[in-house]
Amino acid sequence: MTQFLSLLLNGISLGVLYALIAMGFVIIFKASEVVSFMHGSLLLLGAYSIARLSGPLGFFPAILVGMLITATAAFIVERLIINRLRGAPVISLAIVTIGVDIILLTELIRRLGSDILNVPHPWGGESFRIGNVGLSQNRLIAILVAAVLIALFFAAFKYSNWGIAMRASAEDGETAALMGIRQGQVSALAWVVAGVLAAVAALFLVGSPTPGVTPAAYAVALRAFPAAILGGLDSVGGALVGGLLIGIAEALAAGYQDQLLFLGRGFSAVVPFIVMIAVLLFRPSGLFGTRELTRV
Amino acid sequence: MSESTATAARGSTASTARPAAAGPSQGRRLLRPLLLVALLVVLLLLPLYVEEFWLRTGFAAFGAIVGAIGLNLLVGNTGQLSLAHAFFLAVGAVSYVYVSGEPGGLGVAELSGLGLPPVVGMIVGVLLAGLAGLVFSPLAARLRGIYLGVASLALVFIGVHVLNAWTSVTGGFNGRAAPEFALFGFTFASRDPELYVLGVPFRESERLWYLGLVLAIAAYLFARNLLRSRPGRALQTLRDSEVAASVMGVNVQGYKARIFLVSSMYAGLAGVMYALSIGSIAPESFGLEVSILYLAMIVLGGLGSVNGAVLGALFVSALPLVFQRYADVIPFVGGRGEGGLAAGEAARFLFGTAIVLVILFEPAGLAGIARRVTGRGRRRPGGRVTESAPDTSSRSTSPVPSEKPAQGSTT
Amino acid sequence: MTAPADAGRGTSTDVPPVEVENVTVRFGAITALSDVSFTVAPGAIHAVIGPNGAGKSTMFNVLSGVYQADEGQVRFGEHRLDQMRPFRIAGIGVARAFQNIALSATQSVAENLMLGRHHLTKAGFIAAGLRLPRATREGRRHGERVAEIAEFLELGDKLHTPVGVLSYGDQKRVEVARALCTEPRLLLLDEPVAGMNAEETGRMAESIREIRTALGISIILVEHDMGMVMSLADRITVLDFGRRIADGTPAEVQADPEVIRAYLGSGDEIDPSDAAAAHGASSHPSDTSGTRS
Repeated sequence: MTQFLSLLLNGISLGVLYALIAMGFVIIFKASEVVSFMHGSLLLLGAYSIARLSGPLGFFPAILVGMLITATAAFIVERLIINRLRGAPVISLAIVTIGVDIILLTELIRRLGSDILNVPHPWGGESFRIGNVGLSQNRLIAILVAAVLIALFFAAFKYSNWGIAMRASAEDGETAALMGIRQGQVSALAWVVAGVLAAVAALFLVGSPTPGVTPAAYAVALRAFPAAILGGLDSVGGALVGGLLIGIAEALAAGYQDQLLFLGRGFSAVVPFIVMIAVLLFRPSGLFGTRELTRV
Repeated sequence: MSESTATAARGSTASTARPAAAGPSQGRRLLRPLLLVALLVVLLLLPLYVEEFWLRTGFAAFGAIVGAIGLNLLVGNTGQLSLAHAFFLAVGAVSYVYVSGEPGGLGVAELSGLGLPPVVGMIVGVLLAGLAGLVFSPLAARLRGIYLGVASLALVFIGVHVLNAWTSVTGGFNGRAAPEFALFGFTFASRDPELYVLGVPFRESERLWYLGLVLAIAAYLFARNLLRSRPGRALQTLRDSEVAASVMGVNVQGYKARIFLVSSMYAGLAGVMYALSIGSIAPESFGLEVSILYLAMIVLGGLGSVNGAVLGALFVSALPLVFQRYADVIPFVGGRGEGGLAAGEAARFLFGTAIVLVILFEPAGLAGIARRVTGRGRRRPGGRVTESAPDTSSRSTSPVPSEKPAQGSTT
Repeated sequence: MTAPADAGRGTSTDVPPVEVENVTVRFGAITALSDVSFTVAPGAIHAVIGPNGAGKSTMFNVLSGVYQADEGQVRFGEHRLDQMRPFRIAGIGVARAFQNIALSATQSVAENLMLGRHHLTKAGFIAAGLRLPRATREGRRHGERVAEIAEFLELGDKLHTPVGVLSYGDQKRVEVARALCTEPRLLLLDEPVAGMNAEETGRMAESIREIRTALGISIILVEHDMGMVMSLADRITVLDFGRRIADGTPAEVQADPEVIRAYLGSGDEIDPSDAAAAHGASSHPSDTSGTRS
């Protein structure tokens, strides 16, 4: 039982991080109809920047600058590329982000080389325990920070001008434009927010129990794809639920891997994708995604 | 796209060909077959003159061409974004290695294998890959556009996991050697029998070159014929508007399933050829990066164009090898220690940049550029993969309506 | 200009009536069609008119199987259209020309038209990929018929042009030609002249009339251009807010006070754009003397 609770807690801590990434993914989709395949390298960029800068700048300034760098990168991509392709088919937009991803990822991996870069989290690698139920301090803080960010995000999405503008243009772009909503601005801001969220997720994902900044962080971000998809690509709440679901499923599979050994070592890394396929089999637009109505 | 479209009508409505259409292209019509024959002769004679490195690169490129044509049928012509291509390649490669490989031990791992003739292995590889595509297609057909793209990611990760875990078949983490190809007792290796043509020894690389050439040409012709005819038109229409296709009598679900089958069979064959070209298979050869490279091939070549897929595949598969070989001559490319870029990195930078530029400025890709340079064919509108809805397509392709706005009623 | 003669089976004798009975379609809380009924006699040109948002396009989507009716039935002879998938409906001879042009812009006119032959032809992946003789023969045979139909709609010289570079009016004609290429017994025309100028409209109306005369098939027409509707249609069904408010001959419908109210907007519930649409056609229901065809 305690093992189960530990795993559940771990799963939640992983899940909120997936949710942060997935939410960025979803708002980008809502604001500019782009499925961003460059989210993995964006996350890695955040992790790399924070790790590199925390030496010269100190830990907390490095986080801020890291967030700024990631957000700027997202912003530049939106302005220089996505904005020019407004109205292009979804597949072209997805492919163009794959192009950016190749460039960014190649550069980051080249810079990382073969050594592992560490983020010097002041909270170190200790664990936090109640009885036998434990969680690394890093992940505990992740839960708290993510909870605050998610709450802020939902509030902003619901009440701020930007949130309203975004929902309006996702609903009906033309009408929103007629009402004076600048789609370009809405979209640019969405990318910036997604960049920040990715950087925050990166900060915690490369801390304990994971061993520092490696190209593997990229693969972690890819597991947030299933989170966004199974929640429903256009549902922010769905991204949260999807993230938690994926995180918990993965943590449980990792914890019980001895029992799951017949499925092969490292099976837990595949679990998010299997959960996604299973959900899509029954709900092709995800759990909370809207079914598009055919218009002819 | 001209090969997928323009000529089809010419063939099917021969009776209506009118002088106006024949006029300016009369000379070209003679020129084209001549050029094709010349190209074929060059390709056939090449092994007599060219060193092994180029022949091996060539065989790898032939494999990539087969795979890219297959992916293009699915993504470019039918508008189904799939990142699962690497998975289907893996199914083909593993099936070949297992069916034609001998059982035995390799290091710590105990390998099983059926030891059947390589041709059987190749056929089984193609069929199993197709079957895998068919099994996935009901899910694929239910998913709208981009959902499919992400869902297909899952196959790649699951595939790599299985490759790592199912050691007895795949050789696990270390991979497994691929048996040499043979056809009716003639091996595509450097012996059995030893062979000289005009004094040039025909060893493995020369023999594989011809195998690759034949397979690539077959794959090319099948795809072109397909696109020029009834199923091809149905596929391209469902790419542009699923509703229009179904209302015109196309069983959209059925066609999606069938094109998944065909595309995966192409991938399966490409997988077998990959195994032959490398001489072994390993899990990392079938990761997401491979899917992305295939996507790069068809985007760079020009989505929806068979010729484009060929050009893109040549470019993407040959470039890193060329960089590697001429690292000391090409600026900025050098060894990691010398501060330059490694060949693979340089190639990836180039691909990434090229993808972005192509989508931004030349959606018709290399095929479009080639068409423009040779001045052949009209400039075709668009070249984009799909139009999201019929009303956007009319907006983007039709000139402004003459008098009143064409808004009409949309209930 | 000769009409396409041998329509295969397009003679009026085997064209069954279309019976729409109590059809209701809801989208969530919105009722797009509410208890709509009408009958299209074999070989008739039947117009469905109404202001924007009246449910005309929804009706077409039900007729072609794109939408499911929540209640009611649609019968075409012995077939229940409301229970069939779109591609099956095409197979029994119901064709539709789309309002928003839904052609493949990159394909040539001939290729777009050949798609209309889809359910009449058989070549599968293998036959096509290997260019088996029967596939080639089939393609050639149907290509000839396609050329005839293109000629009939004055597209003969544009067969090899990509649809995307054609003028708007020509694209609309390709839409109609493609629907005709299926050799339909029932032709659904969704605003065939929307956005056309007077001359193009006149040509289209002429073509529609000829289609009916030559093939004897039933035609259901959704159109805003009142002049054209009144001169072409044998019978008219008027929809407003998803309900049928009138059904009868053009003369009856024009005299119907409720129709006049719906179009001229005596109530304050009428969307200004509706009135604009009705006026923009330069002839509202009470004024058909100046038909342009």
